[in-house]
Amino acid sequence: MILPLILLYVISLVYLAITERFRNFASIMALQGWLLFAIALMRLHAISPAELTFIAVETLLFKGILVPALLFAVIRKTGISRVKSSGTSQFQSLLLSVAALVTSASVTYLIADSTTDLVFFGVALYALLSGLVLIVMRSRIFSHMVGFLTIENGVFLFSTAIGVEMPLLINAAILLDILMSVLMLGMFFTKIDRKIHADDADSLTRVKD
Amino acid sequence: MILYLIASIAVASAAFVVRSRRALYAAGLLFYAVQIALLGALCWGGLAGTRHAGGLFVFDAPGTLFYLLLTVVSLYAFHHSEAYLKESRFNHLRTYTGLLLLLTTAIAGAYFADNLALTWVFLEATTLCSAGLIYYRRTAPALEAAWKYLFVCSTGIAMAYLGILLLASATRGESLGYEAVATALTASNPLYLKIAFLLILCGYSCKMELFPLYTVGVDANFAAPAPASALISTGLVNAGFLAILRIYRLYASTEVFGWVRGVLLIAGLLSLAVGALFLRRTNNYKRFLSYSTVENMGIAAIGLGIGGAGVWAAVFHVVCHTFVKSSLFLQMGVVRQVYDGYRINRLGDYMRINRVGAVGLLIGMVALVAFPPSPLFVSELMILSEAAAAERWWVLAAILLLTCIVIYSFCARMIRLCYQPNQDQLHPSGVDKALSWSALSLLAIALVMGLWQPALLQRIITEIATL
Repeated sequence: MILPLILLYVISLVYLAITERFRNFASIMALQGWLLFAIALMRLHAISPAELTFIAVETLLFKGILVPALLFAVIRKTGISRVKSSGTSQFQSLLLSVAALVTSASVTYLIADSTTDLVFFGVALYALLSGLVLIVMRSRIFSHMVGFLTIENGVFLFSTAIGVEMPLLINAAILLDILMSVLMLGMFFTKIDRKIHADDADSLTRVKD
Repeated sequence: MILYLIASIAVASAAFVVRSRRALYAAGLLFYAVQIALLGALCWGGLAGTRHAGGLFVFDAPGTLFYLLLTVVSLYAFHHSEAYLKESRFNHLRTYTGLLLLLTTAIAGAYFADNLALTWVFLEATTLCSAGLIYYRRTAPALEAAWKYLFVCSTGIAMAYLGILLLASATRGESLGYEAVATALTASNPLYLKIAFLLILCGYSCKMELFPLYTVGVDANFAAPAPASALISTGLVNAGFLAILRIYRLYASTEVFGWVRGVLLIAGLLSLAVGALFLRRTNNYKRFLSYSTVENMGIAAIGLGIGGAGVWAAVFHVVCHTFVKSSLFLQMGVVRQVYDGYRINRLGDYMRINRVGAVGLLIGMVALVAFPPSPLFVSELMILSEAAAAERWWVLAAILLLTCIVIYSFCARMIRLCYQPNQDQLHPSGVDKALSWSALSLLAIALVMGLWQPALLQRIITEIATL
């Protein structure tokens, strides 16, 4: 049952590369949050009920509800709706995404290690590369935040692979989510747009040589 | 250790809510009393070498040495901040002080953590504290620098976490203690180990101010007040160095250790190159000193990459760099009092305005470009000798060439500040020569270490460098 969910997660990553509307970005983040919630529930059923409840509730509340809600709020407040036309085209993004997928699959195949759940590892690596592609290729700060959240989700997915033995690691990953994502989204929401009036990363060039 | 963390966090938190400058200063003094009490317990109370909190913390040689340096630099930063920010609004000042104390605590936690995940947690905590310090002035450039710092560090630290998870899976869920992981790694898949190392090095490079994520450190030092920059550019950078050194030691018994050293060598050379080239390009003295940090961390990484005596030299280099760089950043704080800015092409005549400060900058220049009796001369000479002994001539040639650029840039810019005619207006607040003397005292410690390295220090560094 986990495999179809992971497959859906991979498809959401591919879609992330080609979509240009920010509402779609936020919706995909919500979908990934719910998928991760379901995967965590199935994967971690062997750990103590208290820890499982803590992880599940935090994943659902935070990744499935709070972060998407904040993203939608940012879209409403800033009035930005899509990536800039000066950014890369959909075709180029798709090409890079497929390249990232092939790279992840190849590395996973080459590792062939019995100590790791290779499906989780491969998808986490793909999420990492997808997030980096989004950060590097898109010009708006909002896209960069979505790229960061994509990397976070990938890290969380891989932490569930070894979380049965080490629930502490999953809790640490969730804490990272809560602290950094909320802080960054909050900072963007309250400070960046008001003080710099910049939804464009190209405008963040005051601090340079 | 838990007691130390509770006491430090409690006192640091008290700084956020005090109602007068006097109470704020008292909170700071109480905080440093806690730090000195821990140092006393480490040196004379039999704490050294012990484990705490179920093996999560260890008071080992590297942690203790770097903690000593941290306490000294943080105390100086606190003292200078009091004078440097005396005209600031009180609520801003108390937030700044609270964050400075919390940053010191988080760095100390990272030094003593004996667990991969815990090291990561404390390094993440330093990101939060540093971002607050960077945003202190609440200007648009400060916000931009804080945003970039937060974003890049978070992305980097998430990558590092993925690397840690990879190492965790190699231990099959046993433990994330450094010793347990080191034992488990000997039988792990080489490609797996390489990916984990690359992810961790990339992630922690934003803390160590090393290639590839060195840029955020430069921006952070530029935007933060000078005393905070002194702490970020030394104590926090040392935390990144120590985290990478601990990972380096984990890999020492694996078959990919040669590859790891090669990666560190390349990262070090690229950092040295970036630092050397941007020292010529930048027009801001604080960014200038930050690029010097990138260059020096590059030299330390080269030392680790070369191995052998290079590891000893790398640790010694970082220890001495802490005194020299913090002294120069604190001197820059005084420079700002005089000129109200850091523009390289405008400032001059500093020798006439503040002779003590100018002498401090010139001695700092001599120390940073590694002229004898600078302690960095000792470490750089050891690294060059080791490169020659290993017949790595291209490394030797690259270091020498890039070091020449560094020397030229440093001499040209520091002499310009001291002797060229000034083209900027002077700030009415004038010069606080006591601060210049205070910063000079840190430099004096570094120069003494260049002439004479105590046997105890040599023994501790040898213990740290033994793989």
